[in-house]
Amino acid sequence: MFDLSSRQAKIVFFAALAVIGFFLFFPLYWLVISSLKANAELYRVVPTPFPTMPSLEHFVRALTTGKLPMYLTNSLITSTCSASLVTLLALYAGFSFAKYRYFGRQPVMLFMLSAQMFPFGLLLISIYPMMSELNLLDTRPGLILSYIVFALPVSTYMLYSYFSQVPDELIDAARADGASDLRIFHTIVIPISIPPIVTVFLYSFMWSWNDLLYSMTLIVSDEKRTIGPGLLLTYLNEVNADWGGAMAASLVASAPIVAAFMFLQRYFIQGVTAGAVK
Amino acid sequence: MAVIENNVGAYPVSPHANRGGLKAGQNRIGLLLLLPAATGFCAIILYPFLSALGLSLFEYTVEMMEPRFIGLENFAKIAADPDVWAAFWTTAIYVVLSTTGTLIAGLGWALIMNQPFAGRGVLRSLSLLPWVLPATVSAFIWGWIFNSRYGVLNAFLMELGLIDYPQAWLSTPEGAMLAVVLTKVWLSIPLFMSFFLAGLQNLDKEQIDAARVDGAGNWAVLRDHILPHLRPVLMIVVVLGVIGNLQQFDTIYALTGGGPVRATTVLSVEVYRRAFEQWDIGFASAVGVLWVAALLPPAFLYLRMLVKGN
Repeated sequence: MFDLSSRQAKIVFFAALAVIGFFLFFPLYWLVISSLKANAELYRVVPTPFPTMPSLEHFVRALTTGKLPMYLTNSLITSTCSASLVTLLALYAGFSFAKYRYFGRQPVMLFMLSAQMFPFGLLLISIYPMMSELNLLDTRPGLILSYIVFALPVSTYMLYSYFSQVPDELIDAARADGASDLRIFHTIVIPISIPPIVTVFLYSFMWSWNDLLYSMTLIVSDEKRTIGPGLLLTYLNEVNADWGGAMAASLVASAPIVAAFMFLQRYFIQGVTAGAVK
Repeated sequence: MAVIENNVGAYPVSPHANRGGLKAGQNRIGLLLLLPAATGFCAIILYPFLSALGLSLFEYTVEMMEPRFIGLENFAKIAADPDVWAAFWTTAIYVVLSTTGTLIAGLGWALIMNQPFAGRGVLRSLSLLPWVLPATVSAFIWGWIFNSRYGVLNAFLMELGLIDYPQAWLSTPEGAMLAVVLTKVWLSIPLFMSFFLAGLQNLDKEQIDAARVDGAGNWAVLRDHILPHLRPVLMIVVVLGVIGNLQQFDTIYALTGGGPVRATTVLSVEVYRRAFEQWDIGFASAVGVLWVAALLPPAFLYLRMLVKGN
């Protein structure tokens, strides 16, 4: 793209690389490094660039004494359930939008997609009394249902774009053999759509896993609290701030989502930027 | 809101939308398949949205059993409330700074990541990380960097001789704003970069080679070929960035709680506080209505892009 054969061009290029790269990666580096420093080294006005005596004490403490394992379990339960629910709903809706031609199909789809513009905080104002009315306040099912807000529209659209590329002939041929639409969908279309389905699942899982607002509002009791508000309440409170613990717990809380993402990032990026660029 | 902002509703409708499809007569099944998602959508998204808009016309506080209709009184109260106006102003500053910052850094990083060099693949993958971290984690990282006593930022600046003694960044209005903006820029760069990289993929390389033969330098290539080519992507990214930043809540709340005092109280924080700390649901909804109004222009642009892409 750029011609870096001249000395001056090289300098400009690598200077920009260094500056933006530093901004992007230093905070991540600092997160890891700080989690490995014992308190005596962590709380210094002039910090050491890397731990002189690496210690796992923060990790041990976070995983054994605190409520982190409980919060993680709760997040795992709510996120898995809500991601499954969203994926299931989006699967049928995406197929419906892609392969049927009923009246109002396109406006409905556009409307659903533009619902991403409704601020989540505003929706919460009415979701809260609604869940209260249904006795779902401070329950996992209530939180799981509310998480539909985050990912359903985009998930539906991602699967719709994928299913649109499945040839109609494939389905028509199976129909000619007498298979029902549902059967065709389940036995022919779904098996060839595993990557986008996994992507959508991960996408909605990530929304729930990373959420702070809904969980801290809709869940009151500690036994059901998820990782976002759990971390906040544990490590940053009025009394003290345990930064070493916060960093170690942050790494533990990020690990599952980072692992899944790294594994699937290619599909993920494609799904998210698909069609936006001509 | 976590990082994959709701931004991600980015795509215009697929070019396949009007072609193909199954034969007529199957439409009933199609509607049936849509039913579960449509029900969920109406119950959890559409109904709460309309209901919140409606609540803006009611007085509804924690002591009341039933909301009481008061017409536009909430809006009259807002008009007389300098705090709400301040929240609008704060939001504007936050959105402009975050979007501009991410645009510059994201575009720069995409251009760098588009240049072949050893280790680029690894860097590219790693640079997606801020995007997937939980909001609380991003807030922790930046809170620790900006910490007044042990923060690495103070240590850096003192080492460079730019400040003489540690600054309590998060206790000053400007410092807190800087922190929430930098956090947002940091975590949005990956998304912007991904869009720009996708846009750079189909850049006409022969055209650029031809321009080089004619003596164009790097700067001329950037100005005359790359940037014009990226214009459509740039538009999408800016619109989505503005929409996402207008709605940002989690990182701000976790990092500053909207403070010090109200220095980082953007609309999302204002609505949350009025609704769930002061339990003044009607007033919060009215602020929410104005919030939606602020979202309408970028939302309109976004929808137009969706329809045009169709």
